[in-house]
Amino acid sequence: MKNDSELYKQICEYLGCDFDSGPCKEIQDHLAKCPSCEVYIDKVKKTVHLYKEIENCDEIPEKVCQKLFLSLNLNEPKTNESKTGADNHDFQRFRH
Amino acid sequence: METKPQFNEEELVAKAQQGDRNALSQLVVNYRSRIYHLGLRLTGTEQDAEDILQETFLIMVKKIHQFKGQSSFYTWLYRIAVNIGLRKLKSKPHKYQHVSIDDPDIEYISSTEIADWPDFDYSKFARKHLRKKLDQLIEKLPDIYRTVFILRDLHELSTEDTSKILQITPSNTKIRLMRARNYLKEELEKIIDKEGLI
Repeated sequence: MKNDSELYKQICEYLGCDFDSGPCKEIQDHLAKCPSCEVYIDKVKKTVHLYKEIENCDEIPEKVCQKLFLSLNLNEPKTNESKTGADNHDFQRFRH
Repeated sequence: METKPQFNEEELVAKAQQGDRNALSQLVVNYRSRIYHLGLRLTGTEQDAEDILQETFLIMVKKIHQFKGQSSFYTWLYRIAVNIGLRKLKSKPHKYQHVSIDDPDIEYISSTEIADWPDFDYSKFARKHLRKKLDQLIEKLPDIYRTVFILRDLHELSTEDTSKILQITPSNTKIRLMRARNYLKEELEKIIDKEGLI
């Protein structure tokens, strides 16, 4: 049986981890019988979700792109894929 | 439907290291959006984001031959961008006064977290207004917390990659992320209570 201090450390650890990585059994057990903690963690999750919702990493102003390639003295690839496809494809690699 | 391009990054990097300009261009295409948005979130201004974007890729072009493959290429590139961004931040006065960050108080949580938030409904409020509020909150976070939150939660990098980029321990990354998330949740709650955004 874990004491409060150990449980507190675990909850903090959980709050700094990927939420979908699965909390340890002790935390799950605690959340099941502690509505306040469950609500608290749910609100933190919703906060993170809200930030993710408003973040749109796919868009970049066309002018910025043109200036970038000009400053690098490189030619921007002309295919459609170069506009968004490659960026999106690459983004997927970061997701866990 | 657009066909997803097949990129072998190791090959691309190897070609770029040998001076292949098409490979360099493709690497820029692959990462430009993420680096731009990383800069935008770090500094809060489009001009600074553009500067970070340009400086990062200028360094990439100039120093790609120094990349030894000890970390993944994007970790290397992100580290360059984050360092440029943090240097930029240090040279400027902060737009908002940074807040002090504490750990969540579990005893306080037990006595106060009564009502859950309902699911977010964007139709109930202006998206722009919400974005502005959320942007203000994130800009109040001290740099060390904001950077971790951006990398881990917005750019969805792993704890390990974030630690390597920021050159801090994984446990330090987790602690900073936990504090950042807790602060943003607390502040968002105040806005919800005050303005009924959700």
